[in-house]
Amino acid sequence: MQPDTPMAHAVELPGANPVLEAHPELSFKMGAYTWTVETRNSQSVYKVTDGTGSLSLPIHWSFGAQAQTWVFEQDGKFYESIVSFYPAANNLGITTGDEQITPQTLQEAMGRELTPMDTKLCFGCHASNAVNSGKLTLTTLHPGVTCAHCHQGALDHATDAASADFSTTPPRLQDMTSESVSNFCGQCHRSWETVVRNGWRGLPDVRFQPYRLANSRCFNGTDPRISCIACHDPHKDLVRSDASYDSRCLACHAASAKPTSTGRARTCPTATSNCVGCHMPKVTLPGGYLHFTDHQIRIVKAGEPFPN
Amino acid sequence: MILFAIAALAFSASALPQSPSPTAQPGPQSSQQPSFDQLRADADAARQSGEIARASDLYAHALLINPSWPDGWWYLGQLRYSVDDYVQAVDAFNHYLSLMPDAAPATALRGLCEFELGQFEPSLRDVQHALALGAADDSRNTQILRYHEGQLLTRLGRFEEALTAYGYFARQHISNDELLVAIGLATLRIPQLPKDADPSQRDVSALAGNAVFLLLSGDKPSAAQAFQAFTQRYPAVANAHYTWGYLLYPTDQDAAIAEFRRELAIDSGNAIDHTMLAWSLLMENNPSEALSEAKKAAEEAPTLPMAQLSLGRALLETGDVPQATHVLETALALDTQNLEIHIALARAYSESGRDDDARRERRASLDLTQKISKPAPAMGQQGAAPAQ
Repeated sequence: MQPDTPMAHAVELPGANPVLEAHPELSFKMGAYTWTVETRNSQSVYKVTDGTGSLSLPIHWSFGAQAQTWVFEQDGKFYESIVSFYPAANNLGITTGDEQITPQTLQEAMGRELTPMDTKLCFGCHASNAVNSGKLTLTTLHPGVTCAHCHQGALDHATDAASADFSTTPPRLQDMTSESVSNFCGQCHRSWETVVRNGWRGLPDVRFQPYRLANSRCFNGTDPRISCIACHDPHKDLVRSDASYDSRCLACHAASAKPTSTGRARTCPTATSNCVGCHMPKVTLPGGYLHFTDHQIRIVKAGEPFPN
Repeated sequence: MILFAIAALAFSASALPQSPSPTAQPGPQSSQQPSFDQLRADADAARQSGEIARASDLYAHALLINPSWPDGWWYLGQLRYSVDDYVQAVDAFNHYLSLMPDAAPATALRGLCEFELGQFEPSLRDVQHALALGAADDSRNTQILRYHEGQLLTRLGRFEEALTAYGYFARQHISNDELLVAIGLATLRIPQLPKDADPSQRDVSALAGNAVFLLLSGDKPSAAQAFQAFTQRYPAVANAHYTWGYLLYPTDQDAAIAEFRRELAIDSGNAIDHTMLAWSLLMENNPSEALSEAKKAAEEAPTLPMAQLSLGRALLETGDVPQATHVLETALALDTQNLEIHIALARAYSESGRDDDARRERRASLDLTQKISKPAPAMGQQGAAPAQ
């Protein structure tokens, strides 16, 4: 199950990149620059030209199982591609968050330089075993989020379990409080405190589900019914049917539900199904390519600005 | 170079806010006494012809008749400032600012007078308020105010903020020997003004200041070389590795941690270094090692909010929520405006089921960040530096 999830494919390596295999010729033009990504014999090349000169780099690391952004290494520095692949466009577009960048040189058009910390965090989240003892170790990288990424000691456990030794079973996320789970998942999906610490505001915050969830009135750090894993099983593909989440909402918001620590949760006067459709609206990011479910659970009022 | 030796700002009369036209107040005037209008005209004429003492007397006399005349106080303040009579200049600017609050040039000049009088806290308050009001309206004024702000922050022991103020010069590639000494004093956490530093301090400070200047200007390779040269020449000088690590931290936590450890090899009792090391380890998901460092920091500096914060966070992340909450509440009492303390308390309360308290701390955190809010980052921009 888990190996089929998008998380397990959060980084793709050459030869195992169905997105680029299915789209062997991609291009995008903005101003004087044209970007192309061409894939031949499982090798992809990212190229940018201004009409007079060009820069080409082989793609080693593709970040994302659906939309894809690429990270390059050049002269010991890492760069994030200025353009990304978006399924909604079925082609390239400006990488989310880079819309304000106006490249002045081919190098700038190629990609945005990542700081050592950004680089470590990119690979640390999208791959497994890429960061050891706080150091970036790309030689040991396993693509995507594997067991050991979340379950500390999973490799030892796998070895021991083969000889019927279950004493090294990793701790279960289900034993953690909702607050702890939110911070755990937030290490990659951006925790509430990461977003606040950096002062990030605006519509793109909708990408940071733990932040949005913690801003919800119903978030309760010790109630397992509002934990990330109450709704999502990280071992399985994301369930996209709104109705399938109704039982999670009704775990608190049904007349028969056990009260929360602050009292009985209100029941919805309008409906008892498709809760998410109204209370967790879908948000389209600038550019129109990416859509996210807003995890700030609330009574949405018509015309109200994005609460942030 | 006169850049930072300038004693007066370039504020001209045109910088004056629109003030009420001078209208003489009714008062006892004998026929022998000159009228307010006459005094005003004579004072202006004396000032324009450079007769400072006479102009001052005439303005003072006119202001006795009409103390609500803003321009009179402004010119009187300027004239007194120009002859280094800072006490009387402050008095004049106080009167002026009571009539014309939020006047940036007068606030700036009062701050500079207070600086000369050694009244560093009110001086910093005025200089920063003047900057916020837009006193840095040209390059020369900006340089004067930013330089004084940096010196004042250093003198008051707010070294990290001083380096932020000096960052203006690095970004503009404006430098001179005095500035490098000033940056060096902040780097080495010496709460002195450059003019008070002895010759040996000036040498070591200038070398450290040069490395930090290069780093703040974005020239990392040259900065690294300069810092290496500094540490080779002065291997045992305290605080240099700490500050270097602090400046590297936002972009390279590993390098920062290495610098914090080097600092402890020089001074194992450096509380602020223990604090930053603890904090960095927390951000690296290493709470058990962070706890050990945080305990040392809190023991060495029990009134340092960041030390208590690091200890509270380390306790929180090693599972001792009740003790963490107690320590964080202590930290908050020391610094009620510290974003990181509010963030940590939100988590501590949330972990212990105190939802209302958690919500209050979250709200406080969000309110504090309204001032620094910026758009969410691109895909690969993470950003996790602590807000101080």
